[in-house]
Amino acid sequence: MGAWTVIQERQAMLLDPAIRDWVLLPIMVVMILVGVVRHHITVLLNGTPKKADLKSARETKGLQRGAVLRAYGSHLPEHAFEARKAYITDAFEKGTYLKDPKGGNKPKGNVMQDPAYVEGMMDGMKKNMMNIVPQTVIMGWINFFFSGFVLIKLPFPLTIRFKSMLQRGIETQDMDVTWVSSLSWYFLNLFGLQSVFTLLLGSGHAADAMRDMQAMSTMGMGAATNPQMGPTGQPQDMHKIFLSEKENIELTEHEWGLENVEIRLLVKYGKLPRSILEDQKKAKAVGNASSSSSSSAASSHVASSTSPSQATMAAAAAAASASKKKGRRQA
Amino acid sequence: MVNAAKVLQDLRASAERKPDVVVRLGKPLVESGAVKKLDADAWLVYEQVAIAALEVGDDTLAHRCIEALEAKFPGSARVRRLQGMQLEAVGRLEDAGEIYKAILREDETNVLAAKRQVMLLRTMGLPAEAIGALVKYLDINYTDFEGWLQLADFYLEELMNTFVFLDQLLAAFLRYAQAAFCMEEVIMLQPQNHVFHLKYAEILYSQDSIGLALKQFCRVVELCKDHVRGLYGIKLCTSRLLKAAPSRNPAATSQEDLKAIDLLATERLLAVYGSGNAAASVKTTSAKWIESA
Repeated sequence: MGAWTVIQERQAMLLDPAIRDWVLLPIMVVMILVGVVRHHITVLLNGTPKKADLKSARETKGLQRGAVLRAYGSHLPEHAFEARKAYITDAFEKGTYLKDPKGGNKPKGNVMQDPAYVEGMMDGMKKNMMNIVPQTVIMGWINFFFSGFVLIKLPFPLTIRFKSMLQRGIETQDMDVTWVSSLSWYFLNLFGLQSVFTLLLGSGHAADAMRDMQAMSTMGMGAATNPQMGPTGQPQDMHKIFLSEKENIELTEHEWGLENVEIRLLVKYGKLPRSILEDQKKAKAVGNASSSSSSSAASSHVASSTSPSQATMAAAAAAASASKKKGRRQA
Repeated sequence: MVNAAKVLQDLRASAERKPDVVVRLGKPLVESGAVKKLDADAWLVYEQVAIAALEVGDDTLAHRCIEALEAKFPGSARVRRLQGMQLEAVGRLEDAGEIYKAILREDETNVLAAKRQVMLLRTMGLPAEAIGALVKYLDINYTDFEGWLQLADFYLEELMNTFVFLDQLLAAFLRYAQAAFCMEEVIMLQPQNHVFHLKYAEILYSQDSIGLALKQFCRVVELCKDHVRGLYGIKLCTSRLLKAAPSRNPAATSQEDLKAIDLLATERLLAVYGSGNAAASVKTTSAKWIESA
């Protein structure tokens, strides 16, 4: 009986229409207007984008060169791969691709004296201010004037877990979850007005709440826009990055993808059984494990079909090449 | 009208080169002014139609598009590049070169202008300068595989234009090696495209490294089933290799594999030409060649 009256009372709770007219709608309208104004101010502040520099472009693309060779070098024949490897490791070591090839290794002086860095930082600060200040002000306004207000009742039932989301600022145990507090209404607007802004300002607008969150988490000093800035916002020593990439390339073994392409082709057209490829794989694995001879992929096939003298010759050559590779690794 | 805009958008996204289609669809859009209804996309359509119109030789349409763009974005580098292309189209190459130079002075990383400059040098009949400019461009924009492809073409073109005397043979081999290098870069950047593998294989064959060429031709057929040019390439290589003394290099293809591959290529070629799509004369000629080889 008691529970029944509680529910009855809940449903009987009425909101003053003045709350709708003077709190609910104003909050929404203010948020939309602030978003629009913010978009225009950001556009104004952004001004002309910074001009890219040919040398820094070359620096980044140079690094890519190493990465591409490591990832796709297996498509090249041995001689082509080795030539590129030799060239790139040498160039990375010497810093050919650095912006300033001679002074590459010197530690940078005080970054605050670097005008480009300071400018980038100011840019990031400006953007952050544009993002954070308006939201803080609106939140303060709502907290000051409307704290503890219940603004609206959602027309659908919700589970108890939504309570902390929908009734922020009202710490009541018993109130039904569907009632929304003023602060929660603010948050719902903050995240929900996205598509309204897209409608008003077109895509790619700057009134984006998600970007606020990003800005707050990274406090990004333009980190995303400038690849040379590390996650801490400090410029990184590119020569070090080049050297580590060089090490990666040196460790990359060349494994030619076309070594047994004829057999793969014959298998593809059903001229040879599929098992032959698996046999080869196994033979290769065994060869690598014993490390006596990194026999070529086709060696098992060759050995089974050619004269013994040829087979031994093949093995000897493979062993020689393996020892050569080992020597290179040691060097 | 909506459909035309959609098709143009798709063409822009896929970067296909179909100037005739673009002009056919874009011309009524531009001339009726309906293009303005596309809002922000309108300017992209103008640019697209302008380039296509220059390609098919419709200078008035191109002029109209470029004027509209100039009115909207005065002084923009992208529009000035279009104006340069227009000058190129009417043969005022020097003026066009000045425009590109001016763009690059303001922004040295402008890729579009740098590319136009390369092609301009080629149009002016200065292949050596064009190669130099393209090499400089690729040194910075390493990942532009189309640039590498163009460079390979430049090297091959130079080979075709110069008559090879005996004393130029070395230079010719160098050119092939350079073209092969470019194709290797293209393959690394676009390893799944069989057309690039085919081109590389043909260059290798011209370089007389038949063993490598055979493997590349096999790769072509592996990537693209029953690729006729690839199959012919395999036939060419295997017949050369089978006639020559067996290779002592252990990495080379064994005689058994050569014979099997040769047989396979013959069989596939005969099957492709026998499938009924080919003309009778083509069938008999190709069959004769395949059996004789």
